[in-house]
Amino acid sequence: MNGNGKKKRIGVFVCHCGVNIAGVVDVERVAKALEGYSGVSFSTHYIYMCSEPGQNMILETIREEKLDSIIVAACSPTLHEKTFQSVIELAGLNPYQVEIANIREQDSWVHSDKEKATLKAIKIVKSMVEKVLQNESLEPIRVGVTRRALVIGAGISGIQSALDIADHGYEVLLVEKNPSIGGHMIQLSETFPTLDCSQCIMTPKMVEASRHPNIRILTYHEVESISGYVGNFKVKIRKKPRFVDPDKCTMCADCEDVCPQIVSDEFNMGLSFRKAIYLPFPQAVPGTYTLDIENCLGLLPIRCGKCKEVCEPDAINYDDQETVFEEEVGAVVVSTGYDLYDLNHLGEFGGEKYEDVINGLEFERILSASGPTGGEVRRPSDGKVPKNVVFIQCCGSRDPENHNPYCSKICCMYTSKHAMLYKHHVPDGNATVFYIDVRTGGKNFEEFYQRTIDEDQVLYVRGKVSKVYKEGDKIIVWGVDTLTGRKIEMEADLVVLAMSMVQTDGVNELLKKLRISSDANGWLSEAHPKLRPVESLNAGFYLAGCAHGPKDIPETVSQASAAVAKVGDLFAQEQLLHEPTVVPVDEDLCSGCGICVTICPYSARELDKEKGVVKVNEVLCEGCGACAAACPSGAAQQRNQTDDQIFSMVRAILRG
Amino acid sequence: MKLHYYPGCTLKEKTTNLDESTYAAMKMLGYELVEPENWTCCGAEFPLNEEKIVGLAAPARILRQVEMEGGDKVVTACAFCFNVLKQTHIALLNDPLKQKRINAYLKDDIRIDPVTKERTTDFPEYRGDVQVLHLLEFIQKEIGYEKVRSLIRRDLGNLRAAPYYGCRLLRPKGETGIDEPDDPSIFEEFLESIGIGVVDFPFKQECCGSYLSVSLPDAASEVSYRILRSAKLNGADMVVLSCPLCYYNLDRRQDRIREKFLEFTGMPVLFFTQILAWALGVEAEILGLDQHFFDPRPVLGITDKAEVAS
Repeated sequence: MNGNGKKKRIGVFVCHCGVNIAGVVDVERVAKALEGYSGVSFSTHYIYMCSEPGQNMILETIREEKLDSIIVAACSPTLHEKTFQSVIELAGLNPYQVEIANIREQDSWVHSDKEKATLKAIKIVKSMVEKVLQNESLEPIRVGVTRRALVIGAGISGIQSALDIADHGYEVLLVEKNPSIGGHMIQLSETFPTLDCSQCIMTPKMVEASRHPNIRILTYHEVESISGYVGNFKVKIRKKPRFVDPDKCTMCADCEDVCPQIVSDEFNMGLSFRKAIYLPFPQAVPGTYTLDIENCLGLLPIRCGKCKEVCEPDAINYDDQETVFEEEVGAVVVSTGYDLYDLNHLGEFGGEKYEDVINGLEFERILSASGPTGGEVRRPSDGKVPKNVVFIQCCGSRDPENHNPYCSKICCMYTSKHAMLYKHHVPDGNATVFYIDVRTGGKNFEEFYQRTIDEDQVLYVRGKVSKVYKEGDKIIVWGVDTLTGRKIEMEADLVVLAMSMVQTDGVNELLKKLRISSDANGWLSEAHPKLRPVESLNAGFYLAGCAHGPKDIPETVSQASAAVAKVGDLFAQEQLLHEPTVVPVDEDLCSGCGICVTICPYSARELDKEKGVVKVNEVLCEGCGACAAACPSGAAQQRNQTDDQIFSMVRAILRG
Repeated sequence: MKLHYYPGCTLKEKTTNLDESTYAAMKMLGYELVEPENWTCCGAEFPLNEEKIVGLAAPARILRQVEMEGGDKVVTACAFCFNVLKQTHIALLNDPLKQKRINAYLKDDIRIDPVTKERTTDFPEYRGDVQVLHLLEFIQKEIGYEKVRSLIRRDLGNLRAAPYYGCRLLRPKGETGIDEPDDPSIFEEFLESIGIGVVDFPFKQECCGSYLSVSLPDAASEVSYRILRSAKLNGADMVVLSCPLCYYNLDRRQDRIREKFLEFTGMPVLFFTQILAWALGVEAEILGLDQHFFDPRPVLGITDKAEVAS
């Protein structure tokens, strides 16, 4: 008898899974043991239930035997539950009237004693019969979709994502914490393996994004929090005061000329200086000055006020305020990029003690035509042209004992590019690269690397560097050539370190709030490493670019477009379907203690103070059951997984 | 205040200046050092063979003695002894099986009094609760630099010292070392607290040549010279260290270094406890300054009794 007092007609289908199950479990005996068990009208076994003949057999049996629910004793429900749900739907039954008895992963694969494994299989199937007896027919929960996306971070991955979403015809909010969009790519000199000028290929994209009618660029803004659920997020965005009206600013630079505050320039990696009121770089989008309040002498005109005095279009507004506002979106693309591992971690290379020991991004700025040295290779300490440059790869990468265990992936190629470009600038200079392996997996990458060696005579030394120190004005590098086994001690004028890539500072805190998981190294986790590489496990969140792990530009762009294809899938749906196996509240039983509210990891439950009971947002509920286990009064019962069902299952198992 | 102190053999033989200055300095800081009864050699090298744990018996026995005397910590001034005792402590702390195997040796100990011939048996097991601290660590964590600063009696502000860590204080990385091996600062902080100028030099963690001064003396003097030269290039008046073997290589072997590198004019090398005791106002006579190859007295301004070594 089921909960409604009607007698159920259950069919049991035991799968052999070739020898995966049948090799250990006596499937025939299992099928026989279930014949005549309470509620079971039919029981059989077959070699592959998931095959088309297997599915057809189930379909026909349901019709012939007039079954109203079935049990498939087979592999884990994560694999074929959907298959069998669609089979019984074809037969006109509710998909929640099928249950999978897992006799493979939880039985045949982990046992070798055939007798005991068979008895266990019988118990598992019987317990599922008890569950099905009380299963209700459920309908999925339907919710609408807000067809508007949020993209967090406006480097190349964010810009590409925003452009693609906008071209699909949807509105996009592109949020960037810095004053301009562009990310790290706009800082690069030339890109491997084609030596395209990075700015030349990046700025058209930036302009396109800024002119696209579907894209709203929010620079100098940060995402505070995101609430809601897939298709229906509410985003709190914080606007940082820029003190300059982008619409009025003509970029005449008068304010910059009079500003007395000189600070280190982030865009040039600290290799040059800027004023407290500044334009990050000439092609900045939006094209406007920004007043960096932390370094400004003070907004009161009495303190300084020089910039406001000279600003002809009256674009400077000292009363600009920080504001927080809310927007609604249906999908979120996380494209927050990367940082470089801090040089302070490498004490053996002097940490940050030596001016002429720099990281790869600093060298990019030195190589860049728009960089602090105007495109000439000059070292930071004294501006001399370095004649001996040592490049060290894997600084902080591939070193599980001391630093990061992973490969930063792009460093082999950019070091090769650095050495090549250096030789183009200083043909009589010496470039030496210390490497562990040279990894050139990518289209035209290996050819590029070979060119560095053959045409540009860059010396590659296989070995690690143990120490970099300064003696007088010379930098001394100690290393080893592991191919000859010899110690190497050499002088250098400049040392360029291929620092490991790491997750951006502060991103993990935001992501914890969003419940997007990250791996042991801080990179964002995808839903499946092979089959769902651009989605987060948290529905509605998509991953693009280096926030997900080290990547080069083409890979980043591909991932951004792939993530947008998934956003398109979401937006193409009329309504979103949510699993109905949620945990509602029986208001008659609920005492309003609120234990379930604190325990819910999805913030799906809240206390209705007026009524003194808990309310459930069924769309947020993921059906994990934590509240049902914690509820002291039994008011929280998961659909098709009630306490009664669980007790009946336990009893069936104990009975044998 | 009483404090367990394990000196180690070298401090009673070849480098009594380290031992005596430790006693003198700690007295000024208000500590009475107590040596565990019947202490033996620590073994000098921590056994790297995971299986042959008998090498841990000697250091474990020392730690047990401290435990038997009611101590919960033991300090050392010798970097070698510190390294062996600390590694033993960690090895036993994290491995109950190892602790059990060591205790199987320790509980069968028999001690025969050399005079009365009385036999002592039935020793307790080592419970693993004795903390091992190098004196630099003890000063940093338990005495505090503020207190040291307040007790300074001699102004060394016109002198510049190069702190030399060597390897034993810092490696293996992690639990054993007293600081980050590639970027340490504890020695510098200590020197600052006694008011002496500090010199940063890139060779402060490089090997001094270690036992190579026995088997390959030329190789050893080459690396020792590099350290002294780098300290001098960076403006140091003296090198300060804590390890008797480093002291041997950097000071006592300066005769060899001079033979090999004619431009080398010598460099005073002092134990950290000597400079500490001196700053705290201890008399020069008890610091064993006359035992050094390169006489450090002139640089400290002790002119009346200066007998500069040849």
